[in-house]
Amino acid sequence: MVTILGIESSCDETAAAVVIDGRIIGSNVVASQIDLHAEFGGVFPEVASRAHAEAISAVVEQAIEAAGVGFHQLDAIAVTRGPGLVGSLLVGINYAKGVAMMTDKPLLGINHLEGHVYSLWLTQPFREVDFPVLVLIVSGGHTELLLMRNHGEYERLGGTLDDAAGEAFDKVGRLLDLPFPGGPHIERAGRRGNVKSFDFPRAKRDSSYDFSFSGLKTAVMREVTVQPSAATRKGRKKGAEKHAQLRSDISINDVAASFQAAVTDILVEKAARAAQEYGATEIFIAGGVSANQMLRQKMRQETELPVRYPPLNLCTDNAAMIAAAAHYRWEMGLRTSLSFDVRPMWALNNETYHDD
Amino acid sequence: MPILLEGELDIITHSAAQSARFGARLGKLLQPSDIICLSGDMGTGKTIFATGIGHGWGAKIALTSPTYNLVHPHKHDADKTILYHLDCYRLQNADDTDSIGLDDILDSDSIAIIEWAERIDEALPHDRLWVDMRVIEDMRRSFRFQAEGERYQQLIDDFRAAIFGIK
Repeated sequence: MVTILGIESSCDETAAAVVIDGRIIGSNVVASQIDLHAEFGGVFPEVASRAHAEAISAVVEQAIEAAGVGFHQLDAIAVTRGPGLVGSLLVGINYAKGVAMMTDKPLLGINHLEGHVYSLWLTQPFREVDFPVLVLIVSGGHTELLLMRNHGEYERLGGTLDDAAGEAFDKVGRLLDLPFPGGPHIERAGRRGNVKSFDFPRAKRDSSYDFSFSGLKTAVMREVTVQPSAATRKGRKKGAEKHAQLRSDISINDVAASFQAAVTDILVEKAARAAQEYGATEIFIAGGVSANQMLRQKMRQETELPVRYPPLNLCTDNAAMIAAAAHYRWEMGLRTSLSFDVRPMWALNNETYHDD
Repeated sequence: MPILLEGELDIITHSAAQSARFGARLGKLLQPSDIICLSGDMGTGKTIFATGIGHGWGAKIALTSPTYNLVHPHKHDADKTILYHLDCYRLQNADDTDSIGLDDILDSDSIAIIEWAERIDEALPHDRLWVDMRVIEDMRRSFRFQAEGERYQQLIDDFRAAIFGIK
């Protein structure tokens, strides 16, 4: 039995979890700053980074206590090393180094995207995985299409060329005056809307496995806002809040539904085609946007392959997925030196851990 | 009256691809410590233009939107220089810049491209290239480049020469 403490602080969440053998969750604690951010319509980094520092120790202690283990019973400490915001990552990394030193346990620096991949190993009941599988990671900061040939073996097939899928949800949510985060609110509004009301563009409908969502965001903006006239624009001072006004004669529900249809169409189309081309046995979806019901449903409809997605609480950032990924890295022999540095731009592929 | 204003340049692009190509021309001219500020509403093509700049400069990994992570440090494909791609969309004001390490970035020899720069104007140095971007209609975008300081006058002159063949 291998018991690993995972710590995650790459972006908005401060999280800690204890995972046994890479698939049994002993505890999973997430201190979300979403309430804080909702107030400001987005992340408020000064607050965010301070909040990480304030929350980390209580979150880790709570995870240890809820799992009913002592620090001495852990086999290893795992922490997100990147990608993410340096200041936020460092809060988790420094704390993890402290715990590792104090307990004299090995430390593993884990890739956040690989964490999302292993959220799929935490679904209950556990089903064995028959490689290769196609993995689509869709979140606020990432949109990645990967072929996973074995544990730790990833071929990157494509990704976004501009905005991430989750970012498009949040920005369109803001355009529609919906609360933060945009994803769940767009989904709720979209349920009451007509997906065919607006024919928003499906960008990059080509043979590549790359995505582009910035044109879609702009198309939605063009449709739903009143552009300020040249006169008001001239009178505006530099630095003044530039916010396009929402048209009063459009249905927010229809826009939300049509936007969601455009995003999910292209994600599903490319994932299904890649799965077929590479002979994947299953399709895995992970990351915050994998909570989206339209995406899940469409993926199941468009492919005959089994489709796996994490339970809702493991779609968004959490530390259980970091501990789960660490389990497999542990088995592969990864031990990160205590002096390791942060990796803000750390891609997930076959070379990810080569320097370690 | 001079035909061309000193320290200013206006261009209009007709597609996202063309904006990226202009960006690539600018990216080839960048030197250590250069600061490029991009200002404009959502959907004006700031990220597309930045992606072009990164391409022209020689970024190892293609630039994508830094909105979520706020800062993307990009390595050069051939040497050890760094280009920081920042996004202030989620920042409230200049007080927020501590948490993204803005001072360290500006004090370094690295290049900085800053999207939504108007949000943190007070925290930025006087000398910089400021780019105001605007939607004209559909895919057409207007870019107004304004140089503050000698280095950026030179940069605009070189950029003008690169795209129009005249200084």
